[in-house]
Parts: sequence; structure tokens; C-alpha cells
Amino acid sequence: MPILEFLTPMYVFLILAGTLVGIIFGAIPGMTATMAVAVCLPLTYSLGLDNGLALLLGLYVGGISGGLVPAILLGIPGTPSSITTTFDGYPMAQRGEGEKALRIGIVSSLVGGLISLAALFFFAPALAEFAIKFSYVEKFLIIFFALTVMAALSEDMLLGIFSGFLGIFISLIGVYDVTDGGNGEYRLIPPGLEYWLDYGFSLLPVLIGLFGLATILEAAEVGMPKGQSLKDIKVGAHSRFSWGVFKGQVTNLVRSSGIGTFVGILPGVGGSAASILSYTAAKTSSKNPESFGKGNPAGIIASESGNNGLTGGAMVPLLSLGIPGDATTALLIGAFTLQGVQVGPLFIGNNPATWDSMIIAMLLANIAMFIMMYFAIRWLAMVVAVPKHILFPVILMMCVIGAYTINYGIMFDVWTLLIFGIFGWLATKLRLEVAPFIIGFILGPSAEIYFIKSLESFGTLTIFFTKSWIAMLLWALILGSVIGSIMLARRKAALELAQAQAQAEP
Amino acid sequence: MKLNRRTVMAAAASVAILAQPMMAAAQDLPRNVRMVIGSTSTGGDTYQAASIVADALSKQLGINIKVDAVGPSEGFKALGRDKRGTTIMLFHDHAYLGNLYGIAGNPDPFDGYLVGPTLTINPGNAYLVAKNSPYQTMDDILTAAANGERIRVAIQPGGVSEIGFTAMRNAARVRAPGSEENIVPVNTGSQADKNQAMFDGLADVINGSIQANEQFTALPENDQKAMRFVWLTATPETLQKSPEAGMGALSRDDMLQYASPQTSVTLDGTTDFTFDKEFFLIYNKDMKPEMMQAIDEGLAAVFAQDELNARLLEAFFIPDFQPMAEGSAHLMKKRDTYREVIDALK
Repeated sequence: MPILEFLTPMYVFLILAGTLVGIIFGAIPGMTATMAVAVCLPLTYSLGLDNGLALLLGLYVGGISGGLVPAILLGIPGTPSSITTTFDGYPMAQRGEGEKALRIGIVSSLVGGLISLAALFFFAPALAEFAIKFSYVEKFLIIFFALTVMAALSEDMLLGIFSGFLGIFISLIGVYDVTDGGNGEYRLIPPGLEYWLDYGFSLLPVLIGLFGLATILEAAEVGMPKGQSLKDIKVGAHSRFSWGVFKGQVTNLVRSSGIGTFVGILPGVGGSAASILSYTAAKTSSKNPESFGKGNPAGIIASESGNNGLTGGAMVPLLSLGIPGDATTALLIGAFTLQGVQVGPLFIGNNPATWDSMIIAMLLANIAMFIMMYFAIRWLAMVVAVPKHILFPVILMMCVIGAYTINYGIMFDVWTLLIFGIFGWLATKLRLEVAPFIIGFILGPSAEIYFIKSLESFGTLTIFFTKSWIAMLLWALILGSVIGSIMLARRKAALELAQAQAQAEP
Repeated sequence: MKLNRRTVMAAAASVAILAQPMMAAAQDLPRNVRMVIGSTSTGGDTYQAASIVADALSKQLGINIKVDAVGPSEGFKALGRDKRGTTIMLFHDHAYLGNLYGIAGNPDPFDGYLVGPTLTINPGNAYLVAKNSPYQTMDDILTAAANGERIRVAIQPGGVSEIGFTAMRNAARVRAPGSEENIVPVNTGSQADKNQAMFDGLADVINGSIQANEQFTALPENDQKAMRFVWLTATPETLQKSPEAGMGALSRDDMLQYASPQTSVTLDGTTDFTFDKEFFLIYNKDMKPEMMQAIDEGLAAVFAQDELNARLLEAFFIPDFQPMAEGSAHLMKKRDTYREVIDALK
């Protein structure tokens, strides 16, 4: 049987090892799935194509999934695509429901991974055909749609939107790179800083500065908190996890997995957009949108099924067009080129055995990820009970190492971590909002490129409305999201007013 | 076994003896060398060439060489900071083309650095049209430009992708002065963006490569994604050294049809413009000459063996080793030729 040709003990071992190492990389703030794949890429030389891919796919699936652990337990996203997991996961952990939140996240990750894998297996060429209908215009509108989440995530809409635009502004510092089709000119760099800021601030140090260092600084300001004791944490029999959490969430699960897969098949939209869009969709379609951001399990479900949905989706353009769907699959191309295998529109037909081996590797990696994380949860959840005077220095050290290594040893990235840690700490005092800021920072560069390229290509602003039915559909979604956010803000204001009046009238 | 002073000494001595050949081979070089490359992609030809050469060289010299895909700007910065020889750079012609085109963050490698030995050539740099395009050949394209039709060429500005575009404009100028204005760039980024520009009907011609685009040329004409090669910029001498079977459905004979002299993009009316995408090493200008000498000798030894050459050819690279002195002189001459073409069209 052809399947037995690659399904060797070594192949299975590499998937398991890859998944485990991937989870660890994903779980350490500042280390990502992309980094795990980059580190192990040279190993694929000696392993051969099938075994090499088994290792890398394990790392990919594990790395994307591992990000939920620190996001939920510490409020620090392990990877950029788990930012939205922190919004509801961390409040749950603070309530002592860390274990439950982790289980929800892991089950959602598995469902997202499997749905996208099924989409990859059954519909890859058709989805790739659909993906090429998305030109600069449609890609800009998708990013724009994701940016509307800034309004929905804000405590105070005006300040939230301001924070988001500040994030976009800071993300545009640096060169308009020729590799993006730009003119290679520097812009927005303060004089004298060209040497360090020619490519702007790196995302990862900014992210862990804002979420990791700022949290530590805030804690330091109020004095070292005692932390939760084991008695406060609901683990084991007390965690009360039941599959009932997913009741009424099937639509959310399928929709978010679908959004993740869909974002994956569009090259250049970026992995973080998958979970942001899923989260926006879940919040705006929820009956209780105000409960999001305060520990609503639906937020974790949307975020985690969305970012794992990306894994299968991003493989679609890679294997059907030879074009990677995200940063990590861009590294996977390296495994093919190092082995002298061409990836392009004929890949699946020309290499049926490799195709089968990749699908099985992803399936096994998803299952392995689920088993490893599901049974490790009880012990992972106890991390929050580690005394803060031990936990914080460890987190700080990991943040610094992560920032230093992300671009192969650039000291300025550590300064970036410090700058944005202090900025994040000050931001809350200035009532600026970190969540819209980071979303603006992540999506800003793509929004700019696709906006400019749309105008360069078509020469008129009306093209954003007239390009295709896809563009019109996206406008409908954008309007829906904006109107939903406004109504939510009004309802919240009315509620606050009513509460204030009730308090004033004894 | 009980661990006492004697056993520890014996173990240390054995390790020292075992490590001896490696130390001897690399006595002029650091034990760990970082090879930065001028690309941030690990899926591209630069990373592939660097990996193959670094693997062979590290075995030959008995040192560790780690390839880091940091991109041109960070690569030059890292190289400029390190005069100890622990950082070397591998890049291709973009190293000086980026500077000739005036792209920020691309210093002149012949000025602040030492351009070292050449290693290998990727003969795949190509230009393609949609399979159902009215332009079937480069002659069609240049004739159309001479007749006043606007030809849009999708490129990534400022490097290898642009030099062929500049050559097209130069050929149009030689053939019918003024017609070069009809060949216009569509500045895009990655190969995916260039392909998409063609699918969207935004570009008539795109820059690509044999490796990345060959499978698209095998698609049927009614497929929106189907493409056709019109020009390979490599010299016929280089293509002659490639494997006879070529790549995919494109044999070496097919490739020669799209390259000079069969497909002519003139430089000056008499000779054809050609461009071989060459990979070479760049050093910090203060790196010790003995170290460069040791790398030259190591490279000469590995390129003299069949293993590395076979591996390069298998990955569709043409071995092209020239020691530092010859390589540097060759690249400087090459740079001067292209500077003339670029300056003529400014």
C-alpha cells in the first residue's frame, strides 16, 4: 500500500516531536511557530521530503496552538494570532477558570484545524481558483473589515479608534519597501534613527512589550501581588468543564474555522487577521456583545478555531499555486526547494504521495496537539499559582530572549520591547487602549500597501465600490460591523446613564 | 565507573585529540561562522544556494556555518559591524544593482566591503506573458512598443527583477528611439503579486523564474493562470551547462529558444543584453586576509569535487566558482556594464 511507504515509525515520531516542540515554542512569549520552523528547516536536508515535512507540519500546528497557553494564563499572547484569545481567556483565568478556558481553547483549536484540513483535502484547487479573484482592492477591504474591530473592542469608542490609528501610524515608520513594490524611501523616521528604524519596529517585540512587560510594570507599581493560590484555581474536579460550553456555539465554531481557512487561502492577508476577523464576527453576531472581553467562552472559541483554521487554509495556495498563504508556509517552501521539488499548480497531480503524506501529517499533528495539551492542562493551569516574584522574572527573561532572537539577534528589538513596555504602562494612565492599538499596528502596513496598490492599478477611488461583487459584499460586512459597534456603544452609554441615575436616586 | 581525576583527564584528552583535525583545518577561521543572506525568504534561491554551499564548506573546513535570512539592509549592517570574520554574507547581483538603482539601505558593496568569490548562477531569471496574450515573443513586444502600444511589465523595483525591464526599455530605445517610454513598470512585490497582476489583467509581461513559473506554462490556454515564457536573461553558455532534461516540461533546448541569440534583446544594436544571476560572498573590509584565503581554498577544494557540483545542478544552479581576486574583478566589470545601461535611461 502506498500509504505505508511514508507511514514509518520515524515519520510518526517526527510529527509527535514536532508538535511537542511547536507547542513549547508557541507557549513561550516571543517565540513563534515561524521561528520553530525556521530553526528546524535545515534539518529537513537529512530527513528527506516526507519526514522533513512531517517535522515541519508538526511544528506549524503545535506552534499555532501553543500560543493560547500564555494568552489565557498570563494575558500575554504567545503568538500574534492569539491576541484575541487574551481578551476573554485572561479574564477567565483571573476568575480561577484557567483550566476551563484552556480546554475550550484546545477543543476549538482541534475543530479549526480539522475543518481547515478537510477544506484543504477536498477543495484545494477550487479554493485556489477562488483566491486569485482577490486583487489588491478586495484584500484592502478585508483588512479594512478587520480594522473595524477596533471600534468594537474599545471601552471608549473615540479613544479606542484614536489608539488604533496611532497603532497604524507607528506601524508605517520605516522604509516603504521595494519587496512590497514600494519606492524604497524612508518615511516618518525621527532624524538620526535611520540606522535602527529603517524597517520600523518589529511586531513581536512590540507585542510582548505591550502585553508582557507592561503587565509586569503595572504589577510592580501596585506592589508585588500575592497571586492566586491553588485554592483559588478551579482544577480537576472543580474545573466543571463540560461539553455543554459548546452548546449553541456550533455556528461560532464552524464560522470561525471557515473564516480562518478563508484568510489562510488569501496570500498576503496575514495570520493575525484570521483570529481578529473571527472574533469580530462572533462579537457582532452575539446576543450579548457586551460580555465579550470579560471572559466569554465564545471569544476563545472564535479566536482559537480561527487561528487554527488558518493552518489548512494557508496550505491551499502553497500546494495549488506554489504561493505561501502566511509567514510560516513561506518557510515550508524552503523544505520543497531544498529537496528540489517544484511547487506550483501541478504539484498535487505530480506528487500524489507527498500530498497524501502532508495531509496525514497534519491530521496526526492536530490529534497529537489535542492529546498532548488536553492532558497537560491541569498542570499548566497551575502556572498562575506560581508566586509572582518567581514568575515575573522568568516571564521577563523569556520576553527579552524572544525579542533578541526574533530577527536573529538584533539588540534594537530588545529596546523596542522596553519602549513599548513603558508605552503600554503609560497608555493605560492616558486612557489609551492597547487592544485597538496593536490591531492597528499589525494591520496597518498591509492596509497601506493594498490601498496604494489599488489606486496605482486602477487610478480611481470608486474602484473600491465597483470592482466586483466580492467588494460589495465586503462593504456590507464593513457597514454591518460599524453599525453594530455604534449600537453597542450607545446601548452601553444608555446603561451607564441609567445606572448613574439609579445611584443618584436613593 | 567511578569518576576520578584520571578518568576526567583521559576523557578531556580524547576529546582534544578527536577535535584536532577540525581545529587544524579551520585554524584561520572562527569555529562558528554566521552566513547572512540578502533575502528574508527561506523559500527562495538565495537561501537554497547558501544552504548548499554552507553545508559543503562547513564539512570541508570543519567549522559550523549557520545561514540566517536577514535581508539586504540587515545583512550589510551585520557584516559592517563584524570584522572578526564570524559574519560573512552571501548575496547575488542585487547587492550592487540595488545601489545602482539608488534604493535606500543598499550600500555600494565595492566601496565599504570586499566582494569575494563567485559561487553559482541561477539561470532561471525569466519574463512571461499570459498564454493567450497577443504578444508571443520579445520581438512582438518591442514591435508593439515601437507602434505606440503601452506594455506594462510587473517587476519588483530596484534589483534583478528590474534589470531585465531596463534592458527591454534600452532595446526599445535602440530599435526606435522614444519607444522606450511605452514600456512601463508595474511595481509589485513578491512572485505571488507579480502573478496576480497578470491574472488581474494589470500587467502584460511579468518577471518570474523557470523554477517558480514553469508549472504555470504547462496549463491549458483557457486557464486564467496559464503563462508563456518570452525571455530568459541568462547567457546561452550558462544555459548549456544546465541539465539536459531541464525543469518540468521545459527541456534545455526549449530554454535556449527563449535566450540569446534565438531571442534577442539588444544592448547596442550589435550585441545582445544578457544577465546571469550570480551568487557570491561579501566580506567586512577589515576581515583578516588569511581568513578570506582559507575560505577561497576551502571553496576551491569543494568545487573540485563532484558532490557539490552535482548537488547544485540537481537544484538547477550552475556551478560558477571564481576565487576572490577573479570574482571581484569580474563582478566589478559586470556592474560597470549595467551601470551604463541604467544611466543611459535615467
